Amino acid sequence: MADHFRGELPKALRILAAPAGLLPLGPALTLAVRRFARRKPAVFERLGTYGQCSFLIEPSDLDISFLMVPDGVRAEVKCLRRRASQPADVTVRGPLLVLLGLIDGTFDGDALFFNRAISVSGRTDALVALRNAIEDAELTPADFVGVTGTLGRLVDRSVFGGLGLARRFTGSPVAGEPS
Amino acid sequence: MSIELVCPAGTPAALRAAVEAGAHAVYCGFRDETNARNFPGLNFSPDEMVEGVRFAHAHGAKVLVAINTFATAGAMDAWKAALANAEKAGADAVILADLAVLDHAATHHPNLRLHLSVQAAAATPEAIAFYADTFGVKRIVMPRVLSVEEIAKLNAAINVETEAFVFGGLCPMTEGRCSLSSYATGKSPNLTGVCSPPEHVAYSEDRDGTATRLAGFTIDRFGAGEPAGYPTLCKGRFAAGGKTGYLFEDPVSLNAASLIAALVKAGVTALKIEGRQRGKGYVAEVVRTFRAAVEAIDAGGTEVEVGRLLAGLVEGGRQTSGAYKKTWR
Repeated sequence: MADHFRGELPKALRILAAPAGLLPLGPALTLAVRRFARRKPAVFERLGTYGQCSFLIEPSDLDISFLMVPDGVRAEVKCLRRRASQPADVTVRGPLLVLLGLIDGTFDGDALFFNRAISVSGRTDALVALRNAIEDAELTPADFVGVTGTLGRLVDRSVFGGLGLARRFTGSPVAGEPS
Repeated sequence: MSIELVCPAGTPAALRAAVEAGAHAVYCGFRDETNARNFPGLNFSPDEMVEGVRFAHAHGAKVLVAINTFATAGAMDAWKAALANAEKAGADAVILADLAVLDHAATHHPNLRLHLSVQAAAATPEAIAFYADTFGVKRIVMPRVLSVEEIAKLNAAINVETEAFVFGGLCPMTEGRCSLSSYATGKSPNLTGVCSPPEHVAYSEDRDGTATRLAGFTIDRFGAGEPAGYPTLCKGRFAAGGKTGYLFEDPVSLNAASLIAALVKAGVTALKIEGRQRGKGYVAEVVRTFRAAVEAIDAGGTEVEVGRLLAGLVEGGRQTSGAYKKTWR
């Protein structure tokens, strides 16, 4: 089960991350996804009508979760307290760094499922569509921040470098390695 | 280069990843029922195919377009359009299975190089000669039911190239003739391009683990931490004769890396990696590893430990050489 998968944030970091739930993450992520939809509409065309489905993303090592409807420029992301019981078309659960690795293409979704690093429930067709759209999007941190050029490359290098370090520190798997 | 490495791409990003990781050729399909990986959000639009071919050619790689489902009776327009779009994009070959699609390609697109898909299940010199003589097919993708010795005998009896799967998802059935998915869901890889269509797949968790359902049938249940497989009937776990187990095939991936030299000796022209439904992380890692393995064999060097390097990417956490070594005989 995901709870036992290496790669979860250590307890100290979880405590430090707890106040994140108080930040306006939902509105910030909503703006970021809508900005990305205006810049790369083809990603959302690939999603088709599945863009109107709701996806509940539950980092197993945080006390918050995210409810996303990736409907292009009408996309919406809500940040929820973990215990909030929220119905969704699809639920994906796994360690935060692993979920982020799915977004940036570090990890293969099928391999994570085979190894039980993530768990999924709900509409499998919507999840497959979202996974494939994200796969092709080649998302970078700069896309979300909305910066390009030298500053964008700097943001990407810093965030990817930080994520790489965090994955090594938490014992996340590297590609190809069994979990 | 003595052997061609043919690699999967479900999206333009995966195509670029495959090419940059060292693929000699990439195979991909259009976003409709004309190819056997017709999953939501996957595959290429005609414009994306043009750009994909341009990118691959600029990096010295070929693009093979899979149009390998069986056309719907009386409604062949999608297959005709796919052939025209593949030629327009500058594809190096198309991979076909259906007789009518082969005939249309040979008649209306004589400059397209034709490969015969594994979906056609051509495994005898007579069948292969028919496809070669009738439609000008230049390469056969071999069914995953042949041993290395059988491949060597076959190659000695035919005058076309052969391509053999070496890694990835493993159909235990003769491809193109399996009706398990169709029986449960009404859709199949042969006609609609998708085995176990995801809209029919559901996972549910309880304290005992995860149950996998296909069209309402519970086909497997995984305990906590137990490696999982694809939600296909052929890899389902069933109770029969007082025992519960995998009746058809365990969840397992093909890995024939240790047989590359034997396959080359058997006359195989190209090695194929399965996985158009997989992410670019998988594509890059598998292609890079197999390119190193092929080059090591070319150079007469030490065999690359493919099984260990790719252990985390395989279905059910297990690997097999499949029918290439028919140890049950």
